[in-house]
Amino acid sequence: MNVLLSIAFDALAYGMVLFIICIGLSVMMGLMRVINLAHGAFAMIGGYIASYVAGPMGWGYVPALVCGVIGAALIALPLERLLYRRVYGASDPLVQVLMTIGLTFCIIGATNFLFGSAMRAIPLPALISGPVDLGVRTVPAHRLFVIACGVVIASGLWYLIERTSFGIRLRATVDNTGMAGALGVRTDWIYTATFALAVGLAAFGGAVGAEIMPLDPYYALRYMVTFLVVVSVGGAGSIGGALVAALLLGFVDTTGRYLAPNYGEFFFYLAVIAIVFVFPHGLLRRGA
Amino acid sequence: MAPIPGRPAASPRPGCRSRGVPGRELVAPTVVAILGALAYLAFPDDLAFFTRIIVAALFVMSLDLVVGYCGVATLGHAVLYGAGAYAAGILCVDGLTDPLLLIAAGSVAGVVAGLVTALVILRAHGLPQLVLSIAVVQLAYEAANKARDITGGSDGLSGISPGPVFGLFEFDLWGRTAYVLALVLLIATLVVLRRVVRSPFGLLCRGIKQDPDRIRAIGGTIYGNLVKMYALSGAVAGLAGGLTAVTTGVVGLDSVSFEWSAEALVMLVLGGAGTLYGALVGAVVFTGFEHYVAAVDPYHWLFVVGALLIGVVLALPAGLGSLAAWLRRLLPQGAP
Amino acid sequence: MTAALEVQSLCRSFDGIVVADNISLSLAAGDRVALIGPNGAGKTTFVNLVTGTLKPDAGRILLAGVDVTAVSDVERVRRGLVRTFQITRLFPDMTVHEHLMLALLQRAEKTGRLFASLDSFKDAGAEADDLIAQLGLAPVADVKVRALAYGHQRLVEIAIAVALKPKVLLLDEPAAGIPHDEVLRIIEALERLPADLAILMIEHDMDLVFRFAERVIVLAAGKIVCQGTPEEVGRDPAVRAVYLGSYASRDRDALGPGPTVGRGRA
Ligand SMILES: Nc1ncnc2c1ncn2[C@@H]1O[C@H](COP(=O)(O)OP(=O)(O)OP(=O)(O)O)[C@@H](O)[C@H]1O
Ligand SMILES: [Mg+2]
Repeated sequence: MNVLLSIAFDALAYGMVLFIICIGLSVMMGLMRVINLAHGAFAMIGGYIASYVAGPMGWGYVPALVCGVIGAALIALPLERLLYRRVYGASDPLVQVLMTIGLTFCIIGATNFLFGSAMRAIPLPALISGPVDLGVRTVPAHRLFVIACGVVIASGLWYLIERTSFGIRLRATVDNTGMAGALGVRTDWIYTATFALAVGLAAFGGAVGAEIMPLDPYYALRYMVTFLVVVSVGGAGSIGGALVAALLLGFVDTTGRYLAPNYGEFFFYLAVIAIVFVFPHGLLRRGA
Repeated sequence: MAPIPGRPAASPRPGCRSRGVPGRELVAPTVVAILGALAYLAFPDDLAFFTRIIVAALFVMSLDLVVGYCGVATLGHAVLYGAGAYAAGILCVDGLTDPLLLIAAGSVAGVVAGLVTALVILRAHGLPQLVLSIAVVQLAYEAANKARDITGGSDGLSGISPGPVFGLFEFDLWGRTAYVLALVLLIATLVVLRRVVRSPFGLLCRGIKQDPDRIRAIGGTIYGNLVKMYALSGAVAGLAGGLTAVTTGVVGLDSVSFEWSAEALVMLVLGGAGTLYGALVGAVVFTGFEHYVAAVDPYHWLFVVGALLIGVVLALPAGLGSLAAWLRRLLPQGAP
Repeated sequence: MTAALEVQSLCRSFDGIVVADNISLSLAAGDRVALIGPNGAGKTTFVNLVTGTLKPDAGRILLAGVDVTAVSDVERVRRGLVRTFQITRLFPDMTVHEHLMLALLQRAEKTGRLFASLDSFKDAGAEADDLIAQLGLAPVADVKVRALAYGHQRLVEIAIAVALKPKVLLLDEPAAGIPHDEVLRIIEALERLPADLAILMIEHDMDLVFRFAERVIVLAAGKIVCQGTPEEVGRDPAVRAVYLGSYASRDRDALGPGPTVGRGRA
């Protein structure tokens, strides 16, 4: 029983981190039709900035998160203008795959040059660093914090997309870029804003999730596949799909690691194959 | 009937170079043979390194068959290569020592792995296809890792010591035999594959890549033909794997890894997809760079590859191999 | 004599909107039939249903008397049912000659040949050159179609269809999108098609329809509203109503050359 609870709890926290990072990627893929393998690299940048701000600079946890998000977005925006813009909606996905893999390599090299290859931690404030007694079990407070962040972000995004004028324009642009443009929506601005939002979310996820997904220069490569899988399984552009996929895959992965530590990856990738076979267009999508 | 007026009436048969010129197929293999011989004579100390390049070139050519000619998106091609490498390695450890038989066995294993991969990934398209291919290679990696008794797991499979080629040529310390064997296989493969891509089947595959629905509308099937190409690609990848097992004497887990698959794709795109010789160019450039830059610092190496990739994808979408064609166009008419 | 193509009570709707409403028609070998109707009438959808690209909700399709409703689109092509596309669907990186080789070799079921050089198929090569010459495409035979003028691309569409040696040919607006003076070349190409071929042509250009068709079928909102000789159809008030309904305003505003039923050369 205890084991089950702990698995469920860890899985939930892990799934939420995956969701926070992947949702930006999913929206980007849905909107700009770009397979962005460098998304994990942006998460890593956020994590590194946060670790620098909270560590050596000693500004504290919340400013670290804020700096991580803003810093990553600032780094990413010129890249969007210079690189991504040229491959949006490219007919051959390989072009995007290769360009963003290249970008990932560069970011890994640069990160190592600046910070070295050792692992980085983000010091947690006392409030969320200890255990919390939930009655049935004590759990690390940080995990609770992560789960709460995931819930807040999911609802915030839902509100943003379903209820605000930005969301209406975003959805119009997703449905039909040309038509939205004709109706006066500044689609290039929507692209830039969405890109910044996606990178900001990734950076936030990279920073708050650093306890669960440790930061080192290879972070960007290590989790590249996982992020891609979550988005593909959830269906590009779908918030609900990404949430379900992140939680489901987080659960499969965590359970696999707990119950059959030697065969964890097997479960994960078998599940991926099974899901893609059954739902080729994503978990919550109807055909085509 | 006169041509539609106002259109540039192209000079007779521009771009017709491939039609009806006998012997043209042999130009590229001859060039490779000459370069290979020169390398042998000029750098006798680097033969092991050159052999590695040839193995990479074979692997990338095999990838080109499915990516460049059929438009399949895969980041899991190492499954085909690894199958060949492990099959040859395991058979050798078990006592089969004829190197050519071992390589042939690797090729067969590659075909089987190609068929299995094709069955899984060809059901989807685009991103899901990419993800399926990754899932397949990760599963294969885990399987090889867990089957430690047969594969040596993460320590790698060692103790592969094949006998002499044709019972005559021992594998020597300088890697001469290995290099010559590899070069001969490369040239033979190049001849065969250039034939294949210029066959009716090759034409059909190019059509499938460009517009599969249109192929159906002329009565061609998609799935079966892609599976067939995958099997052929597996034969070549398995051959490359078998060759590496035989020439280096070890097979590591990295031969079935996602990383190796991604590297092959990088090489292919660097050199230019859909031309076969682009695969050669990419393998030479990439492996060469890796050899010299990575020796200094692996992170610098990553940075260089990354920058190169971005540059090629954005500035030279047809790959470094297209530089040659581009240069040729600059030359005055009539020049070779 | 069994019809080359027989369609019985074909129905199909998209999200409740009926685009094929109980369509029945039959083509005999040698027939030259035009299918006309306003934009969105369901003409292309009808072609897609007949070729098997779309599944009908109800109805049957027979090729030479054999029910092919459950047969795959590929197999229907192999049994002689070939179509062209309203918006040309060609392989941008192939030359004209390669397109024809592909079609000819596919027709001869030789595209599975892995190790034979294309150049060794001398018959197919000569046949391709023949077709190319007939359609006046010789000067561009070795140009990639992405570099071709649209009129030439249209001719390649037709050439591919001819190379497949069909028994039934469905032409979806073979003259769409090309200047009027080039239409003549399309007409000449069509007139050279084998006499025993059954052809259904969708077309808005009434000159072409009148010149080509012995029988005209008018489709509106997924329903056949009238059929007969071009002259009969041109005089039919129902047809005028259909077109006037959707085109009157357009013609009046001179927004473009809408179909000119009843004018033509009647
Ligand atoms: N796949 C589809 N899903 C939903 N609706 C469709 C689909 N294909 C066609 N339609 C609708 O069916 C109707 C008929 O379309 P169709 O393309 O058959 O018309 P058409 O007669 O060929 O017109 P045109 O002269 O413009 O080519 C149109 O309203 C179209 O929007
Ligand atoms: Mg139409």
